[in-house]
Amino acid sequence: MRKSWLRDYIIKRLLYSIVIAWGILTITFILVRVGPSSPADKYLANLAAKGHDPAQVIAAIEARYGLDKPILQQYGEYMLNLLQGNWGWSLSTSMPVMELIKRHWIYSFQLILLSSLFAAVLGILIGIYSAVRQYTKTDYAFTFLSFIGISIPNFWLGVMLILIFSVKLGIFKTYYDTTLPLFSLANLKALVLPVITLGTGMLAAYVRYTRSAMLENLRKPFVVTARAKGLPEHVVIGKHVFRNALLPLVTIIMFDLGSIVFGGAYLTEIVFGIPGLGQVSFNAIFANDYPVVVAITLIGTLVVLLVNLTTDIIYTYLDPRIRYD
Amino acid sequence: MTETPKAIAKDRAPLSGGGLRLIGYYWRRLTRNRLAVFGLAFIIFLALVAIIGPFFTPDPTEVDFEAKNLPPVGFTITHSTYDIKTDQFITTRVSGNWKHPLGTDRKGRDMLAMIVSGARVSLQVGLLATGIAIIIGTIIGVMSAYLGGWVDNALMRFTDVMMTFPFFLLLVLIVFIFGPSLAFIVLAIGLTGWTGTARMVRSESLSLRTREFVMAAKALGAGDGWVVFRHLIPNVISLIIVIATLSIPGVILAEAALSFIGLGDPTVPSWGIILEEGQHSLTTAWWVAVEPGIMLFLTVLAFNFLGDGLRDAFDPKSSV
Amino acid sequence: METGNIDAIVLRVNELRTYFFTRRGVIKAVDGVSFELRRGECLCLVGESGCGKTVTALSILRLFDSPPGRIVGGTVCYNSTDLTTCSPQQLRRIRGKEIALILQEAQSALNPVLTIGDQIIEQMRLHLPMDTNEARAKAVRLLREMGIPSAEDVLGYYPHQLSGGMKQRVLVAISLSCDPRVLIADEPTTAVDVTIKAQILDMFRELKEKRQMSIIFITHDLGVVAEIGDRAVIMYGGKDVETAPIPDIINFPKHPYTMGLLECLPDVAKEVERLNSIPGMPPDPSYLPSGCAFHPRCPRALDICPRQEPPLVQLSKEHKVRCHLYG
Repeated sequence: MRKSWLRDYIIKRLLYSIVIAWGILTITFILVRVGPSSPADKYLANLAAKGHDPAQVIAAIEARYGLDKPILQQYGEYMLNLLQGNWGWSLSTSMPVMELIKRHWIYSFQLILLSSLFAAVLGILIGIYSAVRQYTKTDYAFTFLSFIGISIPNFWLGVMLILIFSVKLGIFKTYYDTTLPLFSLANLKALVLPVITLGTGMLAAYVRYTRSAMLENLRKPFVVTARAKGLPEHVVIGKHVFRNALLPLVTIIMFDLGSIVFGGAYLTEIVFGIPGLGQVSFNAIFANDYPVVVAITLIGTLVVLLVNLTTDIIYTYLDPRIRYD
Repeated sequence: MTETPKAIAKDRAPLSGGGLRLIGYYWRRLTRNRLAVFGLAFIIFLALVAIIGPFFTPDPTEVDFEAKNLPPVGFTITHSTYDIKTDQFITTRVSGNWKHPLGTDRKGRDMLAMIVSGARVSLQVGLLATGIAIIIGTIIGVMSAYLGGWVDNALMRFTDVMMTFPFFLLLVLIVFIFGPSLAFIVLAIGLTGWTGTARMVRSESLSLRTREFVMAAKALGAGDGWVVFRHLIPNVISLIIVIATLSIPGVILAEAALSFIGLGDPTVPSWGIILEEGQHSLTTAWWVAVEPGIMLFLTVLAFNFLGDGLRDAFDPKSSV
Repeated sequence: METGNIDAIVLRVNELRTYFFTRRGVIKAVDGVSFELRRGECLCLVGESGCGKTVTALSILRLFDSPPGRIVGGTVCYNSTDLTTCSPQQLRRIRGKEIALILQEAQSALNPVLTIGDQIIEQMRLHLPMDTNEARAKAVRLLREMGIPSAEDVLGYYPHQLSGGMKQRVLVAISLSCDPRVLIADEPTTAVDVTIKAQILDMFRELKEKRQMSIIFITHDLGVVAEIGDRAVIMYGGKDVETAPIPDIINFPKHPYTMGLLECLPDVAKEVERLNSIPGMPPDPSYLPSGCAFHPRCPRALDICPRQEPPLVQLSKEHKVRCHLYG
């Protein structure tokens, strides 16, 4: 009985996610079409410098991009293309957008993954410690530090780290070396500063959220019961309190970090010159390469959607009260 | 035990003693928090700097040809310039002076002037964009909670969609499409940052909606609009104040980040633009990167302290 | 069968004082409580809310919140060990294994994200040399003893799937799982329906008779005390104001508070216009009245009562009171 309920729930969430995905794609389409300058205008500026007749160029572009067709048809084709994996052509790099994404996503991925792991593991541990040792000097220190952590502008932090550790101390290179093989120690070293940059804000957030989730549960009666059984303190905290604190923690993390990490990664890539999708989008902006900018926004959003869906499902595994209703 | 909405409604404050006393009560609770007081003090200081500063500092676009890459007061740096005539590198030691207390950038512009102008930009953007976001969010939240039914459903689905977009990516996209003028940036930030507010206002309104005083008002024949304005909104105000204070830093950072990557308004001396320039002068003029960053950091910190203090003052157990 | 005095003292609490040091001041939750628990008896701690009975129970095992709370005086003697000063390791060996505690609200005393089985078995694995299967078997036996049907299935359930009465029984089962010598039950019948209450009282009676358990039973309900207690300690304002065997408490109460409590019990046989009650409210532990804490509400207060704390008077071998009327 329980298994089929879970399956139904997952299907329900999946369908809902598809609806949201549709909404995302539609809004993006509206934004692009409503924009004051169509792709034609921008490309026009480039071409006019090369001496072509504006009117002819506009007509040709509109035909090429299908902009002369009625808007609903454009919408339909847009959706179809996206679903088939045809995300447009990148003018500035002369390759399909999908190809561009395939070449660069791994850099963003490794940065985000390492930063998230760093922030999560350290953050949760500090948060637990801080909660258990509430009102001590260490707790106050960590709380204060976490304020600082969430307030530091991460792109400034990156620049400062470069200033101190690369320029003044010479420990790290100032720019990310793309020739390094991904699974090498040298690559890891090159990622140290970027991971600290992206991870600090997330770390501070994890510390605060974990601490607050733990505090919510530390004084509850079942904790006294656990101690009354004679269980050692680390079992009481680790097994009893933390398992309960995990519930609100997972929800908060899903809401907050899902979207914020992409903005941070975007900036971090630019500061350190890491050729991830953020950097690609950045380059595309200055080359007026519309399809790329749009595509990367979409990818980021769809990944967030996926993360939300996964977290939702994980949550149902964590909270028995939802499963057995 | 709840305070009646009459006591909280600020529009009543000048006339009813209850309102004023309530503000006094919350003020005392706020000022017990030293960090919050520091935050408030810094923000007031910054506002003063932004408003009065431009009268005391030179024009930020004004260039002092003789004093390029001048360090701040108290610092000394060595400049190596290649002299064509003698085919050598001439090194000179340059010290900061009080004419340019915070130094100058590579073009010779006074750092202090730029920082002051940047303060103005950040605060303006911060307040305006947050204002827009809060207004949109509150309207959607209250409408959703109050009207319920399919309106609630539709609005919440829409909010879900907008929430899924990573804030900064969407912002970049909009500014890219519509152009980087300051007005648009403010509008864009406002139009993308309302989702959190909408959610929280809606949930607070929902819980208020079923409270006795609302039902009492309706039983007495109050129309929908009346209930919303006189009863729901005043109770949500404390929540909105906290949300607003905690949103301003995100907005300021968003504008700075946009300027940093070059999508800001080029006619405006934002801290982000200065920082971007600073990143390229790390070896020659490190202060150009440090100063705007410190200001950004302190500003954000101040708002965070204040917002946290406000939240504790209004309701120490709140989960906002 | 153990030879020895049936009157052997299992637990002795002597002048226990537990204070809470908060930002708003010192709360003297327990301020000089003394009693003995004898083998096989059911000792009731009786009093209104705020009198310190729960904190007393928690203090025996040092389970109160420790940053604000601290035992500032007195001893708790179990098996020639002073529980107030022994090491945490010693304490942990005693908790659950020798002395078990059942918390007040069954609703929230169980961990919502762990299965019942997990919560029973973890304790057994900790204190007893059993493997998981043996522990499971014993858990099932215990649950059946507690009158829980389909015990096997219940092991896999989560607390929210059980009714209030079942949760209470699970808690008792957990406390018994390591065969402790002493059981402390904090208001097990308070938040429960009358029918379940009767069942729970039966359960405790059985425990006392069949297992020879020594029970400290905390309640504010004198009716329950009469049914199940052997001796009672009446508490007020953090102190024990009267201690006596049940028949004496009910028939020959000495302290005005005890008398007041008894008068409050409605007599089903009589028809009255108003129910009796003790005027006033139980004192806030942070603002205790001077001298004898009961004097503001006492119908027989003397001049000396607000000025001086009453002495402990031993009226007979088994009966003691703290009251100026007798000393």
